[in-house]
Amino acid sequence: MAELPIPIPLPLPDWIIEFIALNWETLLKIAIIPGLAFILLFELIAVWFERKFLADAMLRIGPLYCGRVAGWLQLIADALKLTIKEVFAPKGAHKLLFYAVPIVAPTIPALAVVLIPFGPDWILFRASGAGLLLFFALTSLIPVTTILAGWGSNNKYTIIGALRSAYLYIAAEMPLFIAAAGVVILAGTFDLVKIVELQSKMWFAIPQFIGFIVFFIAMLGASERVPFDIPVAEQELVLGWRTEYTGIAFGLLMTIEYACLLAWSLLFITLYLGGYQGPPILGPGTASGIFWMLVKLGIVVAVAIFLRVVFPRYRIDQALRLGWRYLIPLALLNIFLTLAMKPYLLAMLQ
Amino acid sequence: MMSETKGIMRISWGPQHPMSGQFRFILETDGENVYEIIPDFGFTHRGIEKILEYRTFVQGIVPFERLAMVDAANVGLAYVRAIEDAANIEVPKRAQYIRTILCEISRINSHLYAIGLAAEAAGGYPAIFLWTTADRELFLDLAEMLTGARWSYSFFIPGGVRADIPEGFKEKALKVLSYFEKRLIAYRDSWLENEIWLTRSKGIGKLSTEDAIKLGAAGPSLRGSGVELDMRKEDKYEAYGEIDFRMAVQKEGDCQARFMVRFLEMIESTRIIKQALENMPPGPFKKPVPPKLPKGEGFARVETARGEMDVHVILDGSDKPYRVKVCAPSFRNLYVISKLPKLTKILVADVPVVVWSFDPWYLDADR
Repeated sequence: MAELPIPIPLPLPDWIIEFIALNWETLLKIAIIPGLAFILLFELIAVWFERKFLADAMLRIGPLYCGRVAGWLQLIADALKLTIKEVFAPKGAHKLLFYAVPIVAPTIPALAVVLIPFGPDWILFRASGAGLLLFFALTSLIPVTTILAGWGSNNKYTIIGALRSAYLYIAAEMPLFIAAAGVVILAGTFDLVKIVELQSKMWFAIPQFIGFIVFFIAMLGASERVPFDIPVAEQELVLGWRTEYTGIAFGLLMTIEYACLLAWSLLFITLYLGGYQGPPILGPGTASGIFWMLVKLGIVVAVAIFLRVVFPRYRIDQALRLGWRYLIPLALLNIFLTLAMKPYLLAMLQ
Repeated sequence: MMSETKGIMRISWGPQHPMSGQFRFILETDGENVYEIIPDFGFTHRGIEKILEYRTFVQGIVPFERLAMVDAANVGLAYVRAIEDAANIEVPKRAQYIRTILCEISRINSHLYAIGLAAEAAGGYPAIFLWTTADRELFLDLAEMLTGARWSYSFFIPGGVRADIPEGFKEKALKVLSYFEKRLIAYRDSWLENEIWLTRSKGIGKLSTEDAIKLGAAGPSLRGSGVELDMRKEDKYEAYGEIDFRMAVQKEGDCQARFMVRFLEMIESTRIIKQALENMPPGPFKKPVPPKLPKGEGFARVETARGEMDVHVILDGSDKPYRVKVCAPSFRNLYVISKLPKLTKILVADVPVVVWSFDPWYLDADR
């Protein structure tokens, strides 16, 4: 007797159904903020600001002609230029990996942005039980892509750059995770919205001061910013793990640095600087939430860019020593202090 | 001490590289450790010693300065002094003082460039390189006022200098120097005492006194290792015998010490220029020299910004030198760099800092 075909029901999770049933609000979130337009605009403005700021510190003028006003179109011109250049893989490169990485890698930090609340209800995907965990799970994939890019390029500079990237990322991510654990202990939840709501009276930067400092330094390491731009050390490794890329593939890889900075800065704001909390300037609700997120983001990114003017680069062993010998013990100390003083700290927050 | 094992990967540092300059170092590495640095000479060989045999003495000054354009006055002086030594030409006092001033301007230019390159070598985009470039402008302006040229002065000729000090030069020079002294403090505070720069340079590329002498290091690299040797003090050429200045010496022998020597030398240079301007004697600024010089042999050593440059000239009675031989400081320092991994631990990331702490000018090594 032939077996009867059993109809398999598709028990899709609620969030996918909700996701598929697009309403205008979801569409707005995906397209504008915190979605596509926001991420691209952030990269545009951050690069423009960085160029102008660095130029000012270096007694130069910076981009000037494209777009009439302070060269704001320069990055778009550069991107256009990159699109019309040839993309080719070097001899002996692993073609699949070589071409896959520039496509896959920039989506990872962009995906992490999805988890960040921009208002009490303005969050693209609220993983209520595990927002923070999911964020770390996603960002842990970044060094995998850099290693694949470095190895797939079949070049000595890229191999060294990729290995440095992996070392640095591990040394930076451990303190990030441990510092964030202090916040989780204090808030009692992984849900980023709840963490923000707990900060309505006082930002976690104060009760979690050690974690705040550790997180900021480690964040610079995780997004490969100066003084931790060791994997792309131009002076010895040409361009580190992205040496062999040309054309728009190179352009896409360049966006990773800023996308990472964006993702980590947003998490930093969410965990320590009160997230979307702030005086309701644009009325109660989402609008002022987004406004405060953008203001705080601007300040954090400006500080990160300022450091680029001031500091040279650490050597990889010095950065690892900083990570393992200072940041991780400090982050652990932060956890112990949080555990010991939790009732007092919670009373402080009320 | 490193073990004798060779590295497992060869990395080419240069000649087409963001930081190497027109030169190639082949690095034998194992991961981050560098076991051997092999300099690969010859990318900028122009045969200048041979070219000089086909130029008259005055024409020869121009190609000779191309040995180290950033330090054109000191390098040109080495050749001019060698000719003067061969033909026994006395130089008027006033010309000696003018030469001293231009030499020190040139030295400040060169050291500013070196410190800026160190900033480039140690990190992504510290502003220091552009700051030093902007401050060099002032000294290039001074040189232009004095000689009419900003880089390749060709100002020294056998028997004196081409022109006298112009009017208003002294006032302008003093103004520039007083501004520059403030800027030097800014460099010290923002760069030479920068925390991360110190972690990158203190104890890195250590060269002991014995090794520095044995390997024949030159200039700030030698004095950075605690050896008191400065041709300006040793030979007292031009006006240096009559001017009060200290020799910049540091004991440590690491990258930071070499840059501190350059920094202190810039302070001394400002003092030398001031004194030379104050004590400028009156009189002629050059002495006529016949185009054909008698048979003879001459030797001169001059403390250029990169160290002692020796020039040996043989004259055969015509208006051209029979043979010119140059012993360049950068060549000697490149030899020291190639031996350095045997003496101390060097990582791949240290290579730019170490190499530029010796401040090699590949053009005078290749000639």
